[in-house]
Amino acid sequence: MRAYPLTWRLLDVLETGLEKVFPRRLAGITPYLMLAPAVLLVGLLVLGLFQVADGSLRTLDTTTFLMSESYSLDNFRRALSEPLFRNVAVKSFAGSLIVTAMTLVLALPYAYVMVRTKSAALRKILLIALFLPFFIGQVVRAYGWLIILGNQGLVNEALSFLGIGPFRLIYNYPAVLFGLIQYMLPFAVLMLAPAVTAIPEETEAAAESLGANWIQTFIHVVLPMARPGFVGAGLVVMTLSLTDFAIPAILGGGSQDFIANAIYDQFFRTSDQGLGATLALLLVAAGSTLVAIVFALVGTGTLQMGRAKQ
Amino acid sequence: MTTARGKTIFLWTLVMISVVVLSAPTLVVLGASFTAGNMITFPPQGLSLKWYASIAQATDLREAFLRSLYVALICTLVAIPVGTLAGIALAKYAVRFEKALQIYLLLPFTIPLIGSGIGLMLIFGNAGILGQLWPVGIACCVINLPFMIWAVTASAGSLDPDLELAAANCGAPPLQTFLLVTLPAVTPGVITGSLLMFILALNEFLVSLLLVDARIVTLPVQIYNSIRSIITPDLAAISVVFIGCAALAITILDRLVGLDVFLKSK
Repeated sequence: MRAYPLTWRLLDVLETGLEKVFPRRLAGITPYLMLAPAVLLVGLLVLGLFQVADGSLRTLDTTTFLMSESYSLDNFRRALSEPLFRNVAVKSFAGSLIVTAMTLVLALPYAYVMVRTKSAALRKILLIALFLPFFIGQVVRAYGWLIILGNQGLVNEALSFLGIGPFRLIYNYPAVLFGLIQYMLPFAVLMLAPAVTAIPEETEAAAESLGANWIQTFIHVVLPMARPGFVGAGLVVMTLSLTDFAIPAILGGGSQDFIANAIYDQFFRTSDQGLGATLALLLVAAGSTLVAIVFALVGTGTLQMGRAKQ
Repeated sequence: MTTARGKTIFLWTLVMISVVVLSAPTLVVLGASFTAGNMITFPPQGLSLKWYASIAQATDLREAFLRSLYVALICTLVAIPVGTLAGIALAKYAVRFEKALQIYLLLPFTIPLIGSGIGLMLIFGNAGILGQLWPVGIACCVINLPFMIWAVTASAGSLDPDLELAAANCGAPPLQTFLLVTLPAVTPGVITGSLLMFILALNEFLVSLLLVDARIVTLPVQIYNSIRSIITPDLAAISVVFIGCAALAITILDRLVGLDVFLKSK
């Protein structure tokens, strides 16, 4: 009897129990049961979107400050016609385009050097420089920028030492874009790196042995071959910077609102839930359209979660 | 410019710019937390630990930090079973509607955070659980779930299916095969995923901001509320707690699975 350990007995009991509640002939539905909790959890978001959609159809009664019982499309008319929201939308879209372009320009050399360097120590340093800000969170990072760039910040103090300044370096549009680029850079590099890894070094060597200089090699070999990474990275950077809240709020100081800030203000300042929900729904629609177009054109690419293609 | 030396100089200039831009806020916050002055100035007014002493006294900051830890813990505890099961299922089985399921499970990433946050705020409000802390943990889990699933599928993909067949062939019933073969194989992925979930929930700002009220602010929200008024070095000292947590997470990640895994091509 001693040859049969306690853990085995325990497993046997569990096994018999499982067989009782989940007979083996049901094995076909196992993967669906395993997926069910995740599907339910994400279902919360879908449910939430229905709530937002419901809210977007109700207008605010300004005499009672209650939401109307009946549905109307008034909020959508206001959201699409008022210049305030148009300005915010233009500002956010233009901003996210600039941020995406700048971030990719910085991210590719970073990913390239990190993947190609022969020095393991250097690779580790570059990885740590990437993960540290990624793991610290937006608020602390933006706080760091306030210390550096603020009106009495380090840069201005240092400049006043030299007798120049002070300059207004924060609470303007470039400061927000700069903060967003810094925020997005780790995401972009981490999505580009696997694509760069996938480019065989021999291909570059071949191009160079055929007489291409490194700029030509970069443009005609590295860039096209890193395309799947660019799609993933560009998409993530674009959508995240378009919809960001913290950086425009902190580095923009309330004067440089992006769409998310406008939505927040509708909910918590103006208390017009209906209009806020409408703006949120439009943003979700814009974001989803962007994602859907890219997915349809090039597939989920590096964003895929399922079985590896073999 | 077109020489090999030109390439090195060009690439390194851009990389150095990136490294400086990435690290500057962290280093400055670290430095500011040790200042002896009441304001953050240049040049620094000498070293002191007085701001650490002051945050040790500040119960509101300490409580906010504990609340953030609690939120991160709930998030991770929910994400581990949910994400592990889903990840294994996606990696090992051919499921119907695989494509649709994948896109559905990517929704937390494709729906803008402000949209998800407001949706969850409305649902939790209707359910009457707004103003409690555990729904914030659940919300953080939902919005970051794809990270957990990714990490697990990456591990499960490298598990040879023959191993599980071999176990079954040796007489192991399904549960034993799962517990003794499949689970240990995906453990590195589960560790990576849960670390990511924990640290992201600890830092989560926007969804916290939408779901908490003044009584239960989490630390990122507390810092956000404070930097809108006046910037004092005690915030730098409390921010160092985040930097410490991030450094710890990176160390664990590097020791257990190696940071290089993020460079692997798929």
